[in-house]
Amino acid sequence: MRLWIYIIRRLFLVIPVIIGVMTITFLLVSALPVSERLESALGTNPKVPYTPEVPCSKLGLNQSGECRNPFYYDGLKKLGLDQSPPVQWAIYMGNSLTGHWGYVGNGSGLAGQIPIARGQPVLTVLGWFLPYTLELAAFALAIIMAVSIPLGNLSAVYRNRPIDQASRVVSFSGFALPPFLLGSFVLFAVVLIVGGHSGISPTCSKVESYFDFFGSWPQIECFPGGLYPAWLKSGQISSPTGFPTIDAAIHGQWFLSLDTIIRMVLPALVIAYGTIAVLLRFVRNSMLEVLNLDFVRTARAKGVPERMVVKRHAGRNSLNVTITVVGLTFASFIGGFAVIETVFGLNGVGRLFAYSVTLTPIDFGVVFGSTILFTIIVVAANLIVDVLYAVLDPRVRLG
Amino acid sequence: MATDETARRRPNPRWDQMRRTWYFFRRNTLAMIGLGILIFFVIVAVYAPFYPASGTNLQEYTSSDGAPPSEVTSPFPVICTYQPGELPPAPNCYQTPLGMPSVVAPTVDLKTGTLGPLPFGSLTLSPSGTQLFNTYAGMVKGSDWSLTISVGIVASGALIGVVLGVVSGYFGGVVDESIMRLTDIFLSIPSLLLVIIFLSVFGLNVLSIDLRVAIIMVAFIVVWWPIYARIVRGQVLVTREQRYVEAARASGATSGRIVRKHIIPNSVYPVFVQMSLDVGTIPLAIAAIVFIGFHLFTVNTFPEWGTITALSVSQSVLETFILSCQTSASTCVIPWWQFFFPGAALFMFAISVNFFADGLRDALDPRLRR
Repeated sequence: MRLWIYIIRRLFLVIPVIIGVMTITFLLVSALPVSERLESALGTNPKVPYTPEVPCSKLGLNQSGECRNPFYYDGLKKLGLDQSPPVQWAIYMGNSLTGHWGYVGNGSGLAGQIPIARGQPVLTVLGWFLPYTLELAAFALAIIMAVSIPLGNLSAVYRNRPIDQASRVVSFSGFALPPFLLGSFVLFAVVLIVGGHSGISPTCSKVESYFDFFGSWPQIECFPGGLYPAWLKSGQISSPTGFPTIDAAIHGQWFLSLDTIIRMVLPALVIAYGTIAVLLRFVRNSMLEVLNLDFVRTARAKGVPERMVVKRHAGRNSLNVTITVVGLTFASFIGGFAVIETVFGLNGVGRLFAYSVTLTPIDFGVVFGSTILFTIIVVAANLIVDVLYAVLDPRVRLG
Repeated sequence: MATDETARRRPNPRWDQMRRTWYFFRRNTLAMIGLGILIFFVIVAVYAPFYPASGTNLQEYTSSDGAPPSEVTSPFPVICTYQPGELPPAPNCYQTPLGMPSVVAPTVDLKTGTLGPLPFGSLTLSPSGTQLFNTYAGMVKGSDWSLTISVGIVASGALIGVVLGVVSGYFGGVVDESIMRLTDIFLSIPSLLLVIIFLSVFGLNVLSIDLRVAIIMVAFIVVWWPIYARIVRGQVLVTREQRYVEAARASGATSGRIVRKHIIPNSVYPVFVQMSLDVGTIPLAIAAIVFIGFHLFTVNTFPEWGTITALSVSQSVLETFILSCQTSASTCVIPWWQFFFPGAALFMFAISVNFFADGLRDALDPRLRR
């Protein structure tokens, strides 16, 4: 019961954070020139120029000193940009909090790159891309935990011995190697092993080939042997959940489901390699501290085998730190997805975000949407971590 | 007078602690290796301004009739396409491999047979291959910029963070609450995303390179200070309750004096560790930003390590490689020199900083020393 009260209290604390993040994004986007925002939302060359009877004094002048296009005057009102900034902020907050996250622009660089998304609601478009990112994140997180916890414990137990030094070098090199460089090495290796002829197409790392299999399936051309059945390529499959592996399983395509998992291995490994370093250090250091506590000495004194001391007594107690650090590193971890998804050409939210800001004009609808989404993910991760912390450690007082 | 003398002779406890830290730090082999590499990079960075800037650009000269290029006397190395086995048409002329006119490997120098004036090879800047970049010159020049930017960002971020953290931790109350909520907000957005949004809004319309550097620094500082504020606040909360602070307060010290003389010196050590870690992270973050698609710096005028590294594995490099593998297996050559040297420099820098920071943490934290 107290746990529920605690969770509800934490949820209330989340509200100011979300509002703050939205305000910061709003302020940043407000610094964009209005003309650029209009061009992004409406497109540069409207096919049917809208000509209301508006005097030039209301339209304002454009950069070359002429009367502004009346089409944009209409857009100005449609986007609410004719209001004062505080009113704009209020409208934006109201819309966002009630689930109206705006639309992908008609003239933004993102819409040019992904034509299917043009003019669609941002929430819908995010919904196409989010499942893949979540699946990849879960996969990477599983690898990180599976490697760093045992390795961290080992290097604490065998402190300053070869295994500790080796794990230190390996984990630090993961931290210091830029993920896109490692990802490129992997791509080079795959191409060399598989060869240029069998299934690797020149469009492999390109964008266009990607969105034929929008939302559900990873890039097919990139993988050797043409493992996919032909009916999938024609895009006739329905995707009830949007998660590639689960969808394939629902359709009874176990092989395909397995294939999707296999295909996620390389990106997940690259992501994990960069994050293991952080967690490994924390696990090692917290384990070192726990190993010197009294109850561990007692356990040793009463004759518990060393293996059990490490596993049961010390391991369990150092787990709390591990969980906390997982939560704290989640923000940087999920932010790195923009890079990884760009390297491997994966259609996740990170890549959508990268498109929305790097291609001009900026798609501010997607910028707003993905920022809020990433913030919610990070905040939710932290919340889960805190709750887990309380559940795992009875000494933690909820408050 | 006499009391002054004794005060001067008495060893400074802070100095003592530094010597103790150095003693523990010295015993850590990896940390000493890290320190050594860092010192090497700093020396290169100090030397960089004296390196001739003109050497970063290469120009392509396509001639197979043996006529010497007209730019023989220019400081730019020249790329020539001539038949294998023939003599190079000009002394500063470098042959390119067949099928890849725009790529010069470090071993191509025919004149001496050893690593010549292009020891790190070249980097293709334009798809047509007419603009090449001397990687070695760029790396030397770039060391200066990269170190300055990273240290500048981290130092400014840490300064803001320490001030706000001390204020927050020492005074508490509403100030503490509001500063901590602000850090909550910043720590809830993936920092890379915020930097990218900042750059996309302010950076793309700016043409001046100095302003762009300023913008990228401001973007990082805005994102970087909250972590320091958090760390310092946590430390200050502990330090504030120490006996010596209580004693200082009891003997009538003002708040300003307590903060300056007792709180700050005793709570900034974790900041040093975090700072040294972050100095290595920033070139990596810039590289990631460039890789995603922000060509903030043009490498010929502003060779920055992250930018060079990101461009060395850009989409066009990967596509050229895949295409070369498709036409025939014999032309399937990884252009390793393009990404190896910049990547290795970035990697060595980041990893040495990490070794250094890890050693520093172990040396400063008495619980990990044993």
